[in-house]
Parts: sequence; structure tokens; C-alpha cells
Amino acid sequence: MSHDQGETLVHMVNQIATNLSGGREEAEAVEGVCSHLEKFWARAMKQRIVACLDEPDAGGLAPVARQAVERLAEHQARKAG
Amino acid sequence: MIQHFDPSQHDKTLAKDLGTPAPAADAAPVSVEIDGVEITVPEGTSVLRAAALADINIPKLCATDSLEAFGSCRLCAVQVEGRRGTPAACTTPVAEGMKVTTQNDRLARLRRNIMELYISDHPLDCLTCPANGDCELQDMAGAVGLREVRYGFEGENHLAAETDHSNPYFSFDPSKCIVCSRCVRACEEVQGTFALTIDGRGFDSTVAAGQDEAFMDSECVSCGACVQACPTSTLMEKSVIDAGQPEHSVVTTCAYCGVGCSFEAQMKGDQLVRMVPYKGGDANHGHSCVKGRFAFGYATHPDRITTPMIRDAIDQPWRPVEWDEAISFAAKRLKAIQDEHGRESIGGITSSRCTNEETYLVQKLIRAAFGNNNTDTCARVCHSPTGYGLKTTLGESAGTQTFDSVMAADAIIVIGANPTDAHPVFGSMMRKRLRQGASLIVADPRRIDLLKTPHLEDAQHLPLRPGTNVALVNALAHVVVTEGLEDHDFIARRCDTEAYRAWRDFIGEARHSPEATESVTGVSAEAVRRAARTYATAGNGAIYYGLGVTEHSQGSTMVMGIANLALATGNIGREGVGVNPLRGQNNVQGSCDMGSFPHELPGYQHVADVAARGRFEAAWGVKLDDEPGLRIPNMFDAAIEGSFKALYVQGEDIAQSDPDTQHVEAALRSLDCLIVQDIFLNETAKFAHVLLPGSSFLEKDGTFTNAERRINRVRRVMPPLAGKADWEVTVDLARALGYPMEYTHPSEIMDEIARLTPTFAGVSYDRLDEHGSLQWPCNEEHPDGTPTMHEVDFPIGRGRFAITEYVATEERASRRFPLLLTTGRILSQYNVGAQTRRTDNQVWHDEDVIEVHPSDAEVRGIQDGDWLGVTSRAGQTVLRARLSERMQPGVVYTTFHHPGSGANVITTSSSDWATNCPEYKVTAVQVEKVSQPSQWQRRFDEADRRQREYLATARDAAS
Repeated sequence: MSHDQGETLVHMVNQIATNLSGGREEAEAVEGVCSHLEKFWARAMKQRIVACLDEPDAGGLAPVARQAVERLAEHQARKAG
Repeated sequence: MIQHFDPSQHDKTLAKDLGTPAPAADAAPVSVEIDGVEITVPEGTSVLRAAALADINIPKLCATDSLEAFGSCRLCAVQVEGRRGTPAACTTPVAEGMKVTTQNDRLARLRRNIMELYISDHPLDCLTCPANGDCELQDMAGAVGLREVRYGFEGENHLAAETDHSNPYFSFDPSKCIVCSRCVRACEEVQGTFALTIDGRGFDSTVAAGQDEAFMDSECVSCGACVQACPTSTLMEKSVIDAGQPEHSVVTTCAYCGVGCSFEAQMKGDQLVRMVPYKGGDANHGHSCVKGRFAFGYATHPDRITTPMIRDAIDQPWRPVEWDEAISFAAKRLKAIQDEHGRESIGGITSSRCTNEETYLVQKLIRAAFGNNNTDTCARVCHSPTGYGLKTTLGESAGTQTFDSVMAADAIIVIGANPTDAHPVFGSMMRKRLRQGASLIVADPRRIDLLKTPHLEDAQHLPLRPGTNVALVNALAHVVVTEGLEDHDFIARRCDTEAYRAWRDFIGEARHSPEATESVTGVSAEAVRRAARTYATAGNGAIYYGLGVTEHSQGSTMVMGIANLALATGNIGREGVGVNPLRGQNNVQGSCDMGSFPHELPGYQHVADVAARGRFEAAWGVKLDDEPGLRIPNMFDAAIEGSFKALYVQGEDIAQSDPDTQHVEAALRSLDCLIVQDIFLNETAKFAHVLLPGSSFLEKDGTFTNAERRINRVRRVMPPLAGKADWEVTVDLARALGYPMEYTHPSEIMDEIARLTPTFAGVSYDRLDEHGSLQWPCNEEHPDGTPTMHEVDFPIGRGRFAITEYVATEERASRRFPLLLTTGRILSQYNVGAQTRRTDNQVWHDEDVIEVHPSDAEVRGIQDGDWLGVTSRAGQTVLRARLSERMQPGVVYTTFHHPGSGANVITTSSSDWATNCPEYKVTAVQVEKVSQPSQWQRRFDEADRRQREYLATARDAAS
């Protein structure tokens, strides 16, 4: 079983996205996933998942998950700046 | 200082046995005159109880206020003006204007004659009898003035009857039995097991267990209710037989499951003689189970760690040291690691077995002294989805009711919980309500014992496939919505309209219908429809759930699905209804309340909440991180990756209890500094560099919070074996890290908690002593606490329906792993078994077995007792097979109470999407016959042997 942390985190966001997508509009799902990550993920995990956006195919992030992580990246950048 | 028994804790109804139970408190008042004393009592009160309340004590033997009146001994005979004869006071209810005489010559003669007959068939060995000093028969002989036994002792008698010693904790000596039936009635009325009966008639009547067999061979579950009820020494604790009568007692709270029973710890000096369930306990009302009542011997077991120990590497022997050296060794290492790897490279795990005060201090140490939010607790692996799901829908991360509320429920749904095994005292209360006629619906892959409740009519069992909870709860809600069973008035008044509309559109879709989900859940559409109708139309519908709900990849979704169902039917906000998580460990509710989670400060206040964080910063005098920290599984991943280097674990055995053992072991081995504080060398401690002796619940003051949000006092009855209570150790470590904490008593910690946590604002030790217990929220708005939540509104204003899309788990049966493994608990063992394995509870369960359905066994040529290799994608272990039809074919079951079983070697890292709570309840496996232990087990045995040797060497050195 793989325990590479980047892979694990991508898997986690995809799972969150799947669970927050059902019965909702895409924009609502993206917002839901992003705020979930902001609320529950540690700083290091956020940095790591944001870094996955630079990997080929965004490290395997599913579409809603990827949009959510992109939004997270913007929020983080704003917070840091 | 040890607090001795304080009589002010007991009011009159608790201080003595009033003979018969209290009637409904709201019954009409009735005035009677007893021996010229006028007293007013509620209608339905017996003459015996009314007299006792007026301090007129009528002799009695078969009556006790924990049981319904029986009227068999006739000792409580009285005379009533205008009535003939001498009726029994226990079975005679008061009537307006009644005039009762309890003492005169005629009654005295009558009582003396009765006692004379009893004593003519009773051994006269009072001086050497274990009940000497605590015997109701002896007391009554004295009270009635028995002076002679005219019949002699030569006639037919029971004096030679043999004692049954089979139960490890109590003996049954029928020669001393007066056949009052109190034990038989306690087994029925209080425990609900019906293991005891009166065998034979007339003079031949004897108490018999099961089919007249030894107690251990019968259905007896050793709850102790019969021992408690026995007025003589017939049923007697072996600890009292050995030690004699206790001389003082202290009321405290049990440290086993989340029921949180109150007990009197009965003592001789600092030796605990017995634990007696406390009648005034608001959670247990005088009942107990085999764990809390009897399994306390671990506290003084020779395996207890009593000396701090350190070592540089985990393949080195331990070095016993003084406290100061151990603490400074730990602090130096933590600081060095932070200097080299950064502030976030260390963290800690709080204990759900320690007190609120201790848990609070550990998370404070992490946030304030470590300077990060890397704190988590065992709730991560059990009820974290409850926190998430209930906070999202109802606005508060806790159950909505009291335990007593079940007595007003008309329909009870139990999902993924096994109350008779895991929450036995509450299970007994639930069974009592079921015997009164409440409907029962059980949604569980296994046929749990609750379904076998005697006198239960018409129970519904929905035997769903593991992993399909959300599909089932959606189908139930679909029926409620489409068959017009909603409580529209409640929804309009109490729920968020927009969220409700969205949910209603979602749940009404045909794909959620029972017919559409039948093939997913394996439960027939008709059964689902019937269950939904029962729940929605019974009147008061109550849902109880356990880890079978939370420990899934959709644990949080399922919790929200349950809340949706309760909201849609208006089953929230009053007695008899509600959403009730049955929490596992004694203080797991408390550990969550106390801010153990990495994203929440005490009282579920988010770390990013500027105002809340500001209050803590001001009180603690430090700047706090506004970003959440790592959760336990994230800590493991980060440790393996190399960015997380040190961990402080108080009273938690992650190496045994957490899933995917080999992954956990790899993570623990990667740490540069593991500090374990525990009462034993647990599995985690075998990977530690610093081992700090913990203290048991008997050795410290504090509070536990049970599953009904009830804060109960834990009182010290003996000094800590290693000299320090757990909170004192944390204080020392904080000081060594340069963050002094100044507390002289846990009450001061609670005062700080009350200042910083709005839901605890009204809690203090004084108020707890005054009230016995308090249920949070306890503040200005609810000064005496909150038994029932959400009566008027929700903490988030209106209840929020949540969309609960069913997503199948990735962990599914395949050709390689065709069976689904689910894990659970049994009555006699507790969690990782560190406590119960060191008691005589071992006689009930000394190994974990794997239960296999006979049809799955047959195709694999498996016989009962065969060794089976159980393999998943995570690992392999070997367990002994037990054939059982409690699961459906295709599902196998085991427990995780023994470390060498390796149940968690096979469970995987798959987890709840929202909280990372592991999916213990679904693992795809294959089983096959094998002839030797698994590779992991052989490695485990070798490592275990080596670590025990290290400990033994250290002990020799210390002594």
C-alpha cells in the first residue's frame, strides 16, 4: 500500500470532493471542499496539496478537487501576502 | 489528600433502602398517618416507603427499593385502621387518610415467628460469616428481638448445600439463602438477562442459575445486580470474603465505557475492597456491569509501571530514573528536535481515559508550550464523525438526550451499536423499556444480543451489508418524505428552509427508494418501509448509534443522515427522542470537549476564530497558531516522511488500537522521541524513549464526561503508585519546557476551563458536589445544566438538513478478497484490553477469534477451532475460527482486545472523508486454513519478548 504523503493527500481531497459533490452545483461543491480544507487541514498539508498543482495532471486531483485546491492556493497566497 | 466519604453527598432517598421504588414524581399527593406521624407522599407510594421517608423503619427482607414489591417474606406486616388482617407494607399503596400501625404486640409476635422459621434453616455462624456487619437477616433478627428457635436445627434443612465458586468474582452459598427472590428479580428487572430462577416448590425452592447449572455455565453476565440485591451472604463478593467489610467509601466514576457509572469505592485504608454501584448515580441509578463492578484489580497489578524510565534508542534496555531526570530528558529532546526540525515537528495525543482536567492540560501544553496545534485524541478513530456530523446539522458535537430519556421512547432504532456488550448498563435500561413495549429496529450486519431480549415482541432487524449505511438511511428518509410522514410543523418552525428544500428534492429522488437501494444494502424494501413507518409514527422515535456508523469511509455522512431523519420526523428537542451517539471510552466525550482536536480549542471553538483564540491567548499568555494541526493519521504519514519527529502520548495505545498496524509501527519507529505516559508497558510504549508512569482513576481527582454530556466527579481513593497523578506530570513537563503552569489541585484547572469555555461556564467542583453531576451546556442560560438539548432552538439557530449522497467504499469484496471483515467488542473486555486483560475477566474471553458463517466455512473446509489466516491488502494475521450464524454469509467478524491477535494488522488506512476516522468496519479479506502464526505475529512475539526483558531488567535494577 502506498503511503506517499502527496498521493495520500490527493486521494483525501478527491474523496472529500466526491462526498461534497452529490446533489450540489459544482460551484457549491468547490466552495465546500475549499472551506473544508481551510478548516480541517494543517498548514503543512495545505502547502503540500497546493504544491501538487504544479505536478503533471495536478498530481491526479479530480476536477472539483483541483478547482478547490486552486482556490485554496489563492486564499493562502492572500493570507501570506 | 484523600477525600473520605462525605455524607452530605447523600440525601435521605440515597442514604437508606426505602423498600420499594419511587412512584412517578408528578403523581398526586396523598396524606397518611403512620404511628401517629402524618406524611404526604406521591400516589402509588407503598406504606413501607412512606414510613421509611418518615424515619419509621418497618422490618423487611424481600423488599428493596431497586426492585418492585414482591410481598413474600411478610416481615413488613402492618395493621391498617378499618382493614382486616396484617397486610404487607411493601405491597400496600398509601390511600388518603389511611392510619397505619407498624409496631404493637401482635405485629411483634408475628415478625418474631417469621424470623424464627427463617433462622431454623440458617447456619448460625454469624461471627465468621463474610456478611457479618452487613447482613439484613442479622439486622432483622436483632430488630424483631429473636431470642430462641423452638423448632431446633435437626429437621430437614439446606445447611449442607454446596457453594458455587465458579464465578471468579462472587460465590453463591445456597445454605445461607432465604429464597427472598431478590436476586432473581434483580436479574430480570434491573439487568434484563433472566439468568436466575426459583427452582422447585415450597420447602424445596432454591435459587438456580440457567438450567440449574453453575453460574459460569449459565447465561449470567456477571453484572453483580444479584450480589447487590442479596440481603445475606448467599451471593457475596470474593474480595469481601477475603478482606472483610470495608470501613469507608468514596463516590467516584467508573473508568470503563462512556456510560460513566457512579460507584462507591469501598475501602479499607487505601485498599479497594469492592466497587458498589451508587444508587444516586445519575447515569446508572445503582446498576453496574462486569467491568466496572468487578474488574478493578488491574489498578494494583504487578505489571503497573511505577518508575520513570528512559533510553536513547528503542532497541536498548530501559534505564530507571528519578522523575526529574525523566522529565528533563524528555524536555531536552523535544526542544532539540524543534530547534532542528521546526516548531511543527512535534505533537501530542490526549487521553480519552484520563480526566477532563488532564486532557485539557495536555492540549494546553501542545498549543502553548509546543507552540503548534498538533494535538489529537482517540476520538479520531471512533466518534470524530459524530463531532463533524452533529455540529454541521444540529450545531453541537454531542448527543441530544439523557440516558433516562430512553424510558420515554416509543420506537428505538439502534444502528451499528451493541449496547448490551459495549454499554451494558444503558443496554439494560433499553431492555427495560423494550419489555414495556417500545418497538425496536436494529440496523446491523450482525444479529446483536439486543434482538434476543426476553419478552421483546416484534423486533425488526435490518441486516445490511457492511459499508451501505448511507444508502439505508437515505432509503428510510425517502420513505418518510414520500409517504407523507414528515413533521411539517417542526420543520417549518425549527429548520432552515432553503437547506430543507434542497434536501427534500434530493432525498425524494427515486434512486433513494428502498426498492432502488435493496440491491445495494441487501435489506428488503418492505423491511425498510416498515421500519421507517414505525419510527416516524410511533410517537417518540429515538436513534442510538455506535461505531458501526462512524467507522466508515462515509461515517460523517451517515451521522448527518441520522440527524436528517430525526429532523424530518420532529424527533429532536424533548424527552424520549433524539440522536444519541453511544461513546466508547469513559471520557471520550470529555476529551473532545476539552479541545483535543487539532482544529478546535476547548468547547469546539475553532482555532481560526479570532475572538475565541484571543481569550485563550490572554489567559495563557502566549500567541497561538491560527491554523489547524495534524490529525493522528497525518502525524503517522508525516513521521514516515521525516517531517514529524516527536510525540507525547498520554494514556492511549495507538500501536494496538489504530488501523494498519504495520504502518503505525513504521511511523513510531521513525520518531526521534516518543514519550509515553501509561499505567502499563502498552504496545505503544514498546516504541518509546521515555516511559512516564501513569495513574489510574482511583489515584487522582478530576472529572469524566459521559455520552450524555454528564460531567461526573472522579475522586481519589488511594495515592498514585508512582507518586504523581497524570496532571502533575504534564505540569512538570510544561515547566521543563519553559512554560510554567501553576495548579495545586485539579479543581483549579476546572475553574480555568469554566472561564474559557462558554458551555462549561457554570461548572465547578463545588457545584458538582452539590448536584452530583451536571450536563453541559451549563452556564448562565442553563445554570443546572442541560439534560435535553435543542428544546427551543439550535446553537446554529435552525436545524440544517444535509445532502447525504451515498458513495460506495473503495474497500469492497473482490476475487482476491471475497469476504468483508467487520470488527467489534465483547462485554468482558474493554478496548485494547490493557485493563481487563489484567483481571479475571480473562475467563470469559482470553483470545480474539474470527467468527465465520457456516456456509463460508464449508466452502473453505473450515471447522470450528481451526487456525485461519486472515489476509487483507494491508497485512495478514492468524486467528482461531468460530462458526457463527450471527453474521450473514460473506461477512466475518473479530475483536481487537488482545495485541497478539493483530486484528489491526488487517484493517486498512481507508478512512472517513471528512475526519479521517478509520474504516474499521469494512475490510475486504480472504480467510484460509493455516498451521502457524503469521509473519507479523512471529515478529510481534519476538519484539514483545525483548521489550518485556528490557522492562524486567530495569525493574531489577530499580529494586
